[in-house]
Amino acid sequence: MEVLMRGKILINILIMVVFSTMPADAATEYDVKAAFLLNFAKFVDWPDSSFTGGDSPVVIGVLGDDPFGSALDNTVRNEKVKGRKLVVKRSKQLNDLKGSHILFVSSSEQSRLGAILRETSDWHTLTVGDVQGFANRGGVINFIIRDKKIGFEINTAAANRAGLKISSQLLKLAKII
Amino acid sequence: MRHIVAPMFASVSIRWKLILIAMATSTLALVLACGAFLAYEIIMGPKEMAMRLETLVKVVGFNTTAAIAFNDPSSAEQTLSALKASPNIYTADIYTNDGKLFARYSRPGDYVYLPKKSNKEGYRFVGNHLELTRPIILDNEKIGMICVYSDVADMYSKLKGYLAIASVVLIAASVVAFILSSTLQRIISEPILHLSKTAMSISVHKDYSVRVSKRGEDEVGELIDSFNEMLEQIHERDETLNELARSLERRVVERTAQLEDTNRELEAFTYSVSHDLRAPLRSIDGFSLAIQEDYTDKLDDAGKDYIDRVRAATQRMAQLIDDLLRLSRITRVEMRRESVNLSEMAREIIDELKNSNPEREAEIVIQPDVMAEGDPDLLKIALGNVLGNAWKFTSKASIGRIELGTTDIDGEQAYFVRDNGIGFDMAYAGKLFTPFQRLHAETEYPGTGIGLAIVKRIIARHEGRIWAEGVVGQGATFYFTL
Repeated sequence: MEVLMRGKILINILIMVVFSTMPADAATEYDVKAAFLLNFAKFVDWPDSSFTGGDSPVVIGVLGDDPFGSALDNTVRNEKVKGRKLVVKRSKQLNDLKGSHILFVSSSEQSRLGAILRETSDWHTLTVGDVQGFANRGGVINFIIRDKKIGFEINTAAANRAGLKISSQLLKLAKII
Repeated sequence: MRHIVAPMFASVSIRWKLILIAMATSTLALVLACGAFLAYEIIMGPKEMAMRLETLVKVVGFNTTAAIAFNDPSSAEQTLSALKASPNIYTADIYTNDGKLFARYSRPGDYVYLPKKSNKEGYRFVGNHLELTRPIILDNEKIGMICVYSDVADMYSKLKGYLAIASVVLIAASVVAFILSSTLQRIISEPILHLSKTAMSISVHKDYSVRVSKRGEDEVGELIDSFNEMLEQIHERDETLNELARSLERRVVERTAQLEDTNRELEAFTYSVSHDLRAPLRSIDGFSLAIQEDYTDKLDDAGKDYIDRVRAATQRMAQLIDDLLRLSRITRVEMRRESVNLSEMAREIIDELKNSNPEREAEIVIQPDVMAEGDPDLLKIALGNVLGNAWKFTSKASIGRIELGTTDIDGEQAYFVRDNGIGFDMAYAGKLFTPFQRLHAETEYPGTGIGLAIVKRIIARHEGRIWAEGVVGQGATFYFTL
């Protein structure tokens, strides 16, 4: 048992948090981002019409070059969100990924971002970007680095347009555009 | 319980019994009620507190799911800081599944107790703390734990407050119960006490005309009714008895007067008859004496014998009349009372008897100074008769023996005269004192049979008793009291 002053605790906590969550290398960065993709699914509600059936899976589409390696597959394997399994689809063609609930747009697609976002604007899809300005240009969520940590920003107008309900808890953690 | 409690209060006034019963009942009921209330608080208070805390923690825990999921401790801490609203909570910790401390809330401006992380879900009281651990669930999956430490001083101070209120209520209720019961007990006790007081005063003063006033139609009222009715009956019976006694007294006085009149008339009649009988008797005696003296030569032997018999009969009749007159005189004579020495009196009488029969030898034993209270003349007649009888009935004994003395009979002094004469059969003891009743032939022992009747009258006039014991041939003893 130890009794400490509150200030000291806060410092301890801060140190602990910073060191335990800082990405050590690229591989761990995408481990974290893969986990975030999974967790997004837990805090976002899609319209019922986006699912073909009661137990149809949540589809995660990866557009462009896949930066996750095996991390995303490992993350979603055996996981369930609201009773639904998760499947990962990968393609360079946007049309192949139509119907995805989460669409991760790889940084390789930066050049045709405008076309992609225009195309997906009337989809019930949670678009997640990995390039600066993704959310500002109409993407729903974009990964950013905040306080040396992986964070994200959310374009609530885009989410509303897509018919998605994002949990207030998630909004609280995000930088709102 | 009653047979244990009841004797303890047997001598306590009914007033206090009623007050005590009311007080005991209300106090016990209140103690039970307060006790039940406090027991409920003691049992349910912590549970309720834990449940309230659990609800709070559940909400807070739910609101930190995103922070945990996206590894944002500062957001979690921000959420935890909402616990400030509940000042009892001084520490709240969130642990991730790998057991690491993820976020912590501490009550501001306070030293904190940092308990070891507990994996045990649920709540428990440790010392003055309530420790609550709950899992944090996201989408049916446990993603962490929240541990909250709350102090329970509040709860205890609340309990103390309840206890204080209960005590105050108990005291106040006891006071109110005392005032109420000591006022209201009068409804029951007053009629009873009034009845009891009246009953006591009646038994002391014997005044059965008193009535108890009635104050209600309850059982006590009925009791008072019955009591009054009883008094009425006693009163009536008393009146009847008094009336009877008065009339009885009146009748006794009347009868006594009648009897006295009759007695007087009878005595006067006896006296005048006896007196009037003397004159013709004297003339029979006189003329038969004249015949005897003047005509004896003209009579043959049979005639002389008849005249002798007439003379003897007239003399006997004269004796009888004398005796009757004596008996009636004794009844009428005025009596005085003084101290009499019976021993001396007896000696004088015996001396006279010896003088009349100087040839007889007799043994006389007289207890010295036997004293009695009474009329000396009457006592002398009585003693003379008894001693004379003894003298007479010992005449045929070789040496007569006559005794006078006192003896104790059933605590009463009795005088006795004992002789060794011919005695009598106890079967005839009752006839001894009847006038003109004789147990022996007149030819053997002369006398009219009036003696003991006179003795009995004299003793009766002294309000004494006389009785005799005897055995044929062995003597007799006469006892009397005065």
